[in-house]
Amino acid sequence: MPAPDRRTIGELLADTDALARETLLSATSENAPAMVRSWNQLVASAAHLWAALSSPPDEMSGSDPMERLRVVGEAIARSVRAGHWPGHGPTDDHVTEIADNLSRARHLIERHGLASGPATADRLADPPDIHGQVMHTLYVAAHGTAVAVGAYVGELQYRLEVGTRRRQPMAERPTTLEITEAHGMIDRFSGFEQLAAARLFGQPLPSADPGQRRAVAHATRLETALGACEVQAHRTLAANPDAADLVRIARVQALITTTTSIITEAAATTGHIDPDLFQRLAPTLEANQVAWSSLAKRWGELTSPASRTDPALAATASEVRAAIAAAATTQKGWATPDQLASRVDLAKTLKTLHLSMVASVDIAHVARDTAADHPGLTAPARIIGMRAQGEAEIAIEQGETRYEGVMWTTPRQISANELIPLPEPARRGLINLNDDVIATTKQSVAAAAQLDPSGVTRSVRSGPEVRRGRSVETLQIPRRPDLGPRGPRR
Amino acid sequence: MEQMDAEVVETLAGVARVLRRAAELVWTQADAAGPGSSRQLLALGIDSAADEALGLLPRRARLGGPTPVGDNPADLLASAEQLLRRICVLGAPSRLLGLRSLVAELVWEANTGAGT
Repeated sequence: MPAPDRRTIGELLADTDALARETLLSATSENAPAMVRSWNQLVASAAHLWAALSSPPDEMSGSDPMERLRVVGEAIARSVRAGHWPGHGPTDDHVTEIADNLSRARHLIERHGLASGPATADRLADPPDIHGQVMHTLYVAAHGTAVAVGAYVGELQYRLEVGTRRRQPMAERPTTLEITEAHGMIDRFSGFEQLAAARLFGQPLPSADPGQRRAVAHATRLETALGACEVQAHRTLAANPDAADLVRIARVQALITTTTSIITEAAATTGHIDPDLFQRLAPTLEANQVAWSSLAKRWGELTSPASRTDPALAATASEVRAAIAAAATTQKGWATPDQLASRVDLAKTLKTLHLSMVASVDIAHVARDTAADHPGLTAPARIIGMRAQGEAEIAIEQGETRYEGVMWTTPRQISANELIPLPEPARRGLINLNDDVIATTKQSVAAAAQLDPSGVTRSVRSGPEVRRGRSVETLQIPRRPDLGPRGPRR
Repeated sequence: MEQMDAEVVETLAGVARVLRRAAELVWTQADAAGPGSSRQLLALGIDSAADEALGLLPRRARLGGPTPVGDNPADLLASAEQLLRRICVLGAPSRLLGLRSLVAELVWEANTGAGT
C-alpha cells in the first residue's frame, strides 16, 4: 500500500514546476508521442486547479487565459483521438505525474482552502502566486513538448532521407504525412506556449518587491472580444459544426488580420514601431487575409439555405466586429493613423492582435481537422460535384490514380440538387486551402515576433541539449525588464 | 419566444433571404477590393443581422424561396428594413425591434459608403 501523500500545496507546486523543467531534459524524440497524448490531461488538471482558486487580482474580465489554454488542450486531444499524429498509444509518465500533482493540489484547496499543510515562515511571509506557478508549469511543459516533437520530426526526416537514398521499401520509411502532422503539432504547442507566456509575463510578478510589479492595464473591449471569440470558435468546432460556422470563423479571422495590418501601419506611421517592421509584416498579413478569405468562400459553397451559424459563435463574432468598428473606423472607412493613435494604445492593441494571430494557428489546425474528418459534412450536389471534379483533376495531374473515372454525383442528386456527403477530393481542396492559412499565419506570426504578445522580459540560460534535437534553454520568470521580449528560443 | 403568426414568420424568412443576398454581394465587393477593405465590417454586420433574423424564426420555418432580385446591397438592406417595419407593430418582441434598428444602422452604413 503506497504511503499517503503528505505534501503541502506549496510543495506540490514546487515539485510540479521542477517536473515541468525536467520535461526539457526528457524532451527526446522517443518521448514526444506520449507527451502529446498526455497533454490534455495536464491542461485539464491545471484548469481545474485554476478554477478552484479565486480569480487572480487584475485578471482580464471576460478573457480567462486558462480557458483559452483549456480549449487548445482539448482540441489537441480531439485531433489525437481522431487518429492524427501521434494517434493512439501510451501516455507519458512524467507529464501524467505533473497532472496528478496539480489534481492533488486542487483536492487540498477544495478540502482545506489555501492554508493546507503546516504553516511555514516562507508561506506566511510571501503568499504564493499559485496562478503564476500553474501558468509557468504549463509554459515550460509546452516548451518541453515542442522540443521533443521537434526532435521527433528531425529523426523522421533523417530516416526518410536515408530510406529514400537506400531505396528502402515504402512501408519501412516514415511518411511525409506523418512529418507534416508532427510539424503541425509543433506549431500548436508553440502557440500554446506563447498564450501561456502572454498571461505569465503580462501579470505582476509574484515578488514582494513592489518595484518589480508591472502595471496591468484593464482589458480593452477588443481584447475581451477577441478572447471570447477564440474560445467560442474552439467550442463550436468541437460540437458538430455546420459549414456556416466555418465560414464565419474564417471571415472573422480575415477581418482581424486586416485590422492588424491597419493598426501596424498606424503604429509605424506614428513612430510607435520600426517602419521596417511594418514593411516586413504587411505582405505576410495580406497573404494571410487572402488565405482566410479563400477558405471562407470555399466553405461558403457547402452552405445551403437551411445552414445556420451557431448563435453563440455569431454573438462573439458580432462583438469582435463591433469592437473593431468602434476602435478603428470612421464613417468613411478605416480611421487614419493619427485618429487611431488618439483613440487606442497602439502598442498594446498590436500585442493583443498579435496574440490573437498566435491563437488562430490552432483554430486553423482544428478547421483543417474538421475538413479532413468531420463525418457530417454535406453540400449541395451541383456545386460540390463540380468542385470535387476540379480537385480530382488536379490530384490526377499530380499522380493520384484513385480518382480516375470516378463519378462524384448521380444524375438524380444533380437534378434535385440534393445535399450529399462531401466527396474526398472536395475535402482535399478544403485541406489544401487550410494549409495555406496555416502557412501564411505562421509567416505573419514570425514576421511579427518583435511585437511579442507577452512583452516577455526574461533571462535565458544555457541548458542541456536534447539528443538529435534543438538546443534547449531553461526558462526563468523574468528578472530584467530591460531585456527585449522573446519567447523560448529553439 | 412567443408564438408568431404565419405572416410574420413568412416575412421574417423573406428578411433573412434578403439579408443573406445583401451579405453575399458585399462579401464579393470586399473580396474584390482586396485584403485591406473595410467593407468586411459591413458584410459581417449584415451576416449578424441575417443570423438574428434566423434566430427569431421557429426552427422548422422554411427558409427556401426565391432569390431576392437586385444587386445593390444598400437597396436590399432598405427592402429588409421596410419588411421589418411592416411586422414591427406595437407589442412586437424586443428582439424583433432590435433587429430593425440593426438593419437601419446597416442601411445608413451602406449608404454613407463606410467601408468602401
